[in-house]
Amino acid sequence: MKATRIVRAVAGVAVSGLTIAGLSLAAVAPANSAARSTVVMMETSAMTSLNSGTPDTNLVTNSDVGYLTGMGFIYYDNKPNLLRNTKFGHFEVVKKTPTDFQVKYTVNKGQIWSDGTPVTAVDLLLSHVLSSGKYSIAAGLGDPSGGKPAFDSVGYGGSYDGHVVGNPVLSSDNMSLTIKYDSFQPEWELLGPGPSPVHALEQLADGKKAAGTAAANLASKAQFLKDFTSKNTTRLKKMGAIWSESYNIKTVDSSTNPLLLVSNGAFKVQSAVADQSVTMVRNAKYSSGPAMAKTNPINKIIFSFIADGSPSYQALRNGDIDIYDGQPDAAGVAQLKAIRSATVYGGVSMTYEHVDLRVGAVPGATTAYTGPFAGNSQKAQDLREAFLLALPRDGILESQVKPFSPNGVVMNSHFTLPGQTGYSTIVKSSGVSSFTTGTQADRTARALALVKKYYPTASATNSVVDINFLFKGSQRRIDENKLIAAEAAKAGFKVSTTPNSAWSTKLDDVSYDAAMFAWAPSSTSQTGTNANFLTDGGNNHSGWGTAELDKILHSLEAYLTPAQITAKYLAAETIINANNWTLPLYQWPTTIAANTALKGIKSAPLTPNVVWNFWEWHY
Amino acid sequence: MFAYIVRRLGMMLVILFGASFMSYNLEAYSSDPLAELQQSTAPNKQYLIDRLTRELMLDVPPPLRFFIWLKGIVSGLWGQFDLGMTRDQHSVAEYIGAAIPTTFRLVIGSTVLAIVLGITIGMVTAIRQYSRFDYSMTFVSFLMFSLPIFWVAVLLKEYFAIQFNDFLVDPHVTPPFLLFFSLLSALIWAGIIGGDRRRFFTVFGAVAIGTAILIEVLSLTSWFISPGLGIVVVAVFAGGISVAITHLSVGLDDKKSLYASLITAGIVVALYYPLQWVMSADASLLTVIGIFALILAIGAAVGYLISKIDRRAIMRTAMITGFLSMVPVVIDRFMQEFNAYYASDAINGRPIPTMGQANQLLSPEQQANFWINSLDGFTHVFLPTVALTLISFAGYVRFSRGSLLEVLNMDYIRTARAKGLTERTVIVRHALRNAMLPLTTILVNDFAGVIGGAIITESIFGWKGMGSLFNQAIGSYDLNLFMGVFIMTAFLTVFANLVSDLLYGVMDPRIRIRK
Repeated sequence: MKATRIVRAVAGVAVSGLTIAGLSLAAVAPANSAARSTVVMMETSAMTSLNSGTPDTNLVTNSDVGYLTGMGFIYYDNKPNLLRNTKFGHFEVVKKTPTDFQVKYTVNKGQIWSDGTPVTAVDLLLSHVLSSGKYSIAAGLGDPSGGKPAFDSVGYGGSYDGHVVGNPVLSSDNMSLTIKYDSFQPEWELLGPGPSPVHALEQLADGKKAAGTAAANLASKAQFLKDFTSKNTTRLKKMGAIWSESYNIKTVDSSTNPLLLVSNGAFKVQSAVADQSVTMVRNAKYSSGPAMAKTNPINKIIFSFIADGSPSYQALRNGDIDIYDGQPDAAGVAQLKAIRSATVYGGVSMTYEHVDLRVGAVPGATTAYTGPFAGNSQKAQDLREAFLLALPRDGILESQVKPFSPNGVVMNSHFTLPGQTGYSTIVKSSGVSSFTTGTQADRTARALALVKKYYPTASATNSVVDINFLFKGSQRRIDENKLIAAEAAKAGFKVSTTPNSAWSTKLDDVSYDAAMFAWAPSSTSQTGTNANFLTDGGNNHSGWGTAELDKILHSLEAYLTPAQITAKYLAAETIINANNWTLPLYQWPTTIAANTALKGIKSAPLTPNVVWNFWEWHY
Repeated sequence: MFAYIVRRLGMMLVILFGASFMSYNLEAYSSDPLAELQQSTAPNKQYLIDRLTRELMLDVPPPLRFFIWLKGIVSGLWGQFDLGMTRDQHSVAEYIGAAIPTTFRLVIGSTVLAIVLGITIGMVTAIRQYSRFDYSMTFVSFLMFSLPIFWVAVLLKEYFAIQFNDFLVDPHVTPPFLLFFSLLSALIWAGIIGGDRRRFFTVFGAVAIGTAILIEVLSLTSWFISPGLGIVVVAVFAGGISVAITHLSVGLDDKKSLYASLITAGIVVALYYPLQWVMSADASLLTVIGIFALILAIGAAVGYLISKIDRRAIMRTAMITGFLSMVPVVIDRFMQEFNAYYASDAINGRPIPTMGQANQLLSPEQQANFWINSLDGFTHVFLPTVALTLISFAGYVRFSRGSLLEVLNMDYIRTARAKGLTERTVIVRHALRNAMLPLTTILVNDFAGVIGGAIITESIFGWKGMGSLFNQAIGSYDLNLFMGVFIMTAFLTVFANLVSDLLYGVMDPRIRIRK
């Protein structure tokens, strides 16, 4: 018995590993990593396609990969200003009459795709196929507005589609392209074409599986020009299927068709592991855009897919990622700031919150709106003004923005963002000051006085005007709604507090008196806000609009100087504020956190956000 | 029996139909795929809205749209099975096909570990009912049971990844930690070994001092960044394992069996150096499998040659001993590679990651090296496995403890003791086997649940398995994807229920499945 017990004890000790043999003294420490040239960046969603140009693949991660691997005529900086990429080429207006507006795009000579094929203006032609529904119909590729076209592009249905005349005209040396519109296009700089490796597309359509020879590539490019000009339906349809479907890959490895990876950007996709990461390495043949940093530039960028929140904070802290780009809550920002090896860069997004009051139903609706804000009677005007006065915009800013960016401000213009040209001029005299003067308590008192004119029993403790308020059930909106309901109650309004998960389908619903959501512009344009306020505007869900305002907005669709644009914005905003339709709240704050050793990081409000200046990054 | 199965299968179809109809509609009515587009100010917004409406058939009411989806499932009857496309234009079946192996990799280790650990600890606590060990394990298992996984994951990442990696920069254990670990390990071992107060403190003191010395030596020799076991430790392990296995399986009184085990263990130690040459940089998984197959064969042969009677039991003991003794040899081989892995550019001295399935910075040569590649896989699977094991093993501990206690109070156990069987035979042969019966039911169901994925764990550790697929489906209002994951998990759950019912009938003669 005793012997057994001893044996048992020995076994136990052995299994616990309490012994000291087998030690090695030959430990090697990691080499000094001063020469680091890799950036691992977090993306919250996986790459789903190498082509971000279809409506289904037009997602952040796909576009970021596209931005790193492709360069065109324009890009946004962090102001956001639209800049021209003169390394790639230049463009200018060549004709400007009321019915004939022409822009000429010229590609600089000497640029090559990553497979060595020269970049020419022929590579710009695909943009026309992807944006012109008329071409799609004429070439037998299907009517985009009636069904799935051969090239299932996100580009149809916009101003290019509506106003382009005929096909773009190539110069004799194939380096320039002239596009003709039927009238001046206020956003003409954004409508320009971008390069696509059309020779690779041709070869893919032929079922090729390997990169062609230089001569074959040139022949394929010529073939594309021929197919484009002659509207070769069979071939274009084949290419359309390739363009719409074959680029939808999540895995890139040695078995991937190299023709899918041809690019002219600073980087090219080297490998991708489905739902895990994409690895991009420097394109040795890059000459189509800003030069990379001179000292310790980045040679490899990896997008690593990980959920926002504590997983990514800890990944940054452990060095698993170098750049965090997400939407942290206040506690998250504090956690990020506590990471010693990382720096937090705050910024603002173009996306902004706003509250809209309903005046009537949208044009063509069958049911009329009969709520408290209906119409333009003095009573409706006063009640609308009262509601807007009682919006606790400072309080919302305090709770939703200040924890992230202490410099955040309440937004006071509908057409311009704080800091943009004209913003201060507009805010000074657009009449918005009536919603900003005094403290919130003063404004709420004024609001109560207005409500009392029509509802004498209203008081800070007796809410008599029911407001059915439309908002999404996200934490942000629920918090904001709580603040709004509490403050509006002091002015006699009883604001509903039930969120609606299907809010976007209810925007035209006349049972709602007010709505709160965000506008998320993806570009800057002098007429970008028109659709919100035109009587028949696609984004006007609240029955707003006056003939005078429509006239001012339509006059924006012309070639104007910045001062003229500001004057017109001011005139429009004066009308909007006088009618008490809507008030913006604030721009969404953004937070970027990056490895402190990584220099050159600048947060930008528009996509591609933080990667916009990857060429300036360095260690 | 046949009629029973047919009836159950019929019920299965009804349940699946009802459940999928309900979830389809719940998800369709609660989601709003157009919301994002509505916020857009793009000039061609209307085109995009129309197109999405057309593509997702949003103009068809969800109860009717369900049948369009169902058509794809029913078409499976004539081989046209179609789960549809995801919103990002990939086939749902392809997504699920890729997600299942990932989930398996993530969850299989922890499930097996939780079952083995949970059942072992549960059984030991039952045998040592109301002992110090029983109380502490009950406390620990309830503690683990009540912890939320996201919090456990955050803590594990903090201490076992971030701080451990920080520690590796200068791998010397500081005195407070030395004290802490020594006392902790002393407490655990003293608790397990048990006995009266004097003996408790003797064990406690011995283990505390032993651990302190061990950690200090490991610290001084940079063992943490350049680990290894060496032939001496392997030999000690092999000896311990052979004695322990013999004791558990046939008892130490069976000298033939003990000799067979010891000889097999000796062969493992003797093979240590030759195997270093076999387990070269060009080795593959096949090599490792081959090594284990070899030692199983050797164990069988030794058992066969030594035994005259009771041949099967002796061969089995020798084979198990050989297999388990080989484990430290292989672990030692992985440890030898650790330093190179740790010091490589890709790892840069921070070997334990907080996320992902593999390090994308490893060079192609490193990826081709079985040892380094496996180490990389192991470091990535380490934290999620620990997290999942911690929270799920408590259930097995409680279940197996209760089950064994119930069996131990049965009349036939008393009879077995009364007729003079050794305590080992009573417990291992008579009690354990019967106590395992009810466990099979939960085991089968748990394995089905495993495929459903660990929604939170997967997204916290950045693994794209079934769980995060489900998450993604809800987040992006991807109805086809949602239903694909749903129908897969629903089917497995219902099917596992049927299997466990049938299995129970087969294993327990007291239960017969009637028509």
